[in-house]
Amino acid sequence: MTTPERLRSLVARDIKPARPLRSPVVRALAIGPLAMATVVIVPLVTFFRSDMADLGLLRGWGLSFVESLAGIVVVGLALRESIPGRALSRGLLLAAFIIGLALPFAIMALTATPFSTGPAEFAWTDTVVCLRTSFAAAIPLMLLATLLVARALPLRPGVAGALYGLGCGLVADAGLRLYCEFTVPSHFLTAHAGAVVVALGAGAVIGSVIQRS
Amino acid sequence: MQEDRNAIDPGEVELCRLMTGYLDGQLDAFDGLYAALAPRLRSYLLAQCRDASLADDLVQDTFLQLHRSRRTYQPGRPVTPWAFAIARHSFLMYLRRTRRRLRFEDTLASELTSRDVARDDVRALADRDEVQRALVQLPADQREALLMHHVQGWSFAEIATQLGIRVNAAKTRAFRGMRKLKGQFRA
Repeated sequence: MTTPERLRSLVARDIKPARPLRSPVVRALAIGPLAMATVVIVPLVTFFRSDMADLGLLRGWGLSFVESLAGIVVVGLALRESIPGRALSRGLLLAAFIIGLALPFAIMALTATPFSTGPAEFAWTDTVVCLRTSFAAAIPLMLLATLLVARALPLRPGVAGALYGLGCGLVADAGLRLYCEFTVPSHFLTAHAGAVVVALGAGAVIGSVIQRS
Repeated sequence: MQEDRNAIDPGEVELCRLMTGYLDGQLDAFDGLYAALAPRLRSYLLAQCRDASLADDLVQDTFLQLHRSRRTYQPGRPVTPWAFAIARHSFLMYLRRTRRRLRFEDTLASELTSRDVARDDVRALADRDEVQRALVQLPADQREALLMHHVQGWSFAEIATQLGIRVNAAKTRAFRGMRKLKGQFRA
């Protein structure tokens, strides 16, 4: 089968050496510095939680490092998902979403013994402050991840978007937990876990919109 | 691992070589890729759309998309799953763009019913609609595997290669699709 003349001329007009994209792992590592900056900048710009000394290095910075690393891994999965022929299996996707969404809860459980720090009654203002801080911290990372995914060819853009949204949400939450010490379930569920879910949803929407455009 | 894969499909080694040349900007390598992949892609796309001229157009769309996205190919990895994923993408884009999914299913349903025993016209029409509705309700991946196996007569190994999935996954998809189809007719 020979190449049709029209197709051949279109390709010939545009053919030039092209450097393949780096592997998803390498590209995910490229967001590492910005992810680390995201973690550090939230408490630096605002303030550190008052019980940082009680938490210690491992349960304070250590767990934030683990959460941000998990976020980078999830962004790496999104980058892999956006390579044709390397789509993630349903099982791996499910595992990524379940583990990603469960991680903030697990970290909270590891750091808070009494889940009673914070307002006794649900306070919207605190929730909004944490949501806003988390989302604002995630924006630069989301932009970079969007750019990286859009440079490839995500065949399921909504899935790829949801994955990198989740990853960026986790990184932002890793910074937020160094700033907010509230452990009451109503605040944690709406503000902290809620921010991760919002980032996931925003990523899915952005991914789908980019694909359509 | 790479050697194992090559041992199974020696043609893949040649495709990788051509792809490398294509990434270096060699038009001859693109021609080689077209010669090697186009018949298989056409066959795959034909199985999807059941329209020869549309399949030809989709093959060209696929190669244009492949050209635009050539940087997403990762050297050393098999070319076939990458190319077939792009073909699938082109086909799905076509479906979305034209919103002709129903018509497409109608064509497929006609193919299925045309192989059936002769019935009176009213009964045949009712059956055709029934098959069409039943097929529409199947998940896309199961419908794809079912049609490739039961209508096109592809082996599960061939389906697995074309879709870039495991043989067992191809079997499972076709089996589940058929089970759901039967279930819908029994209901």
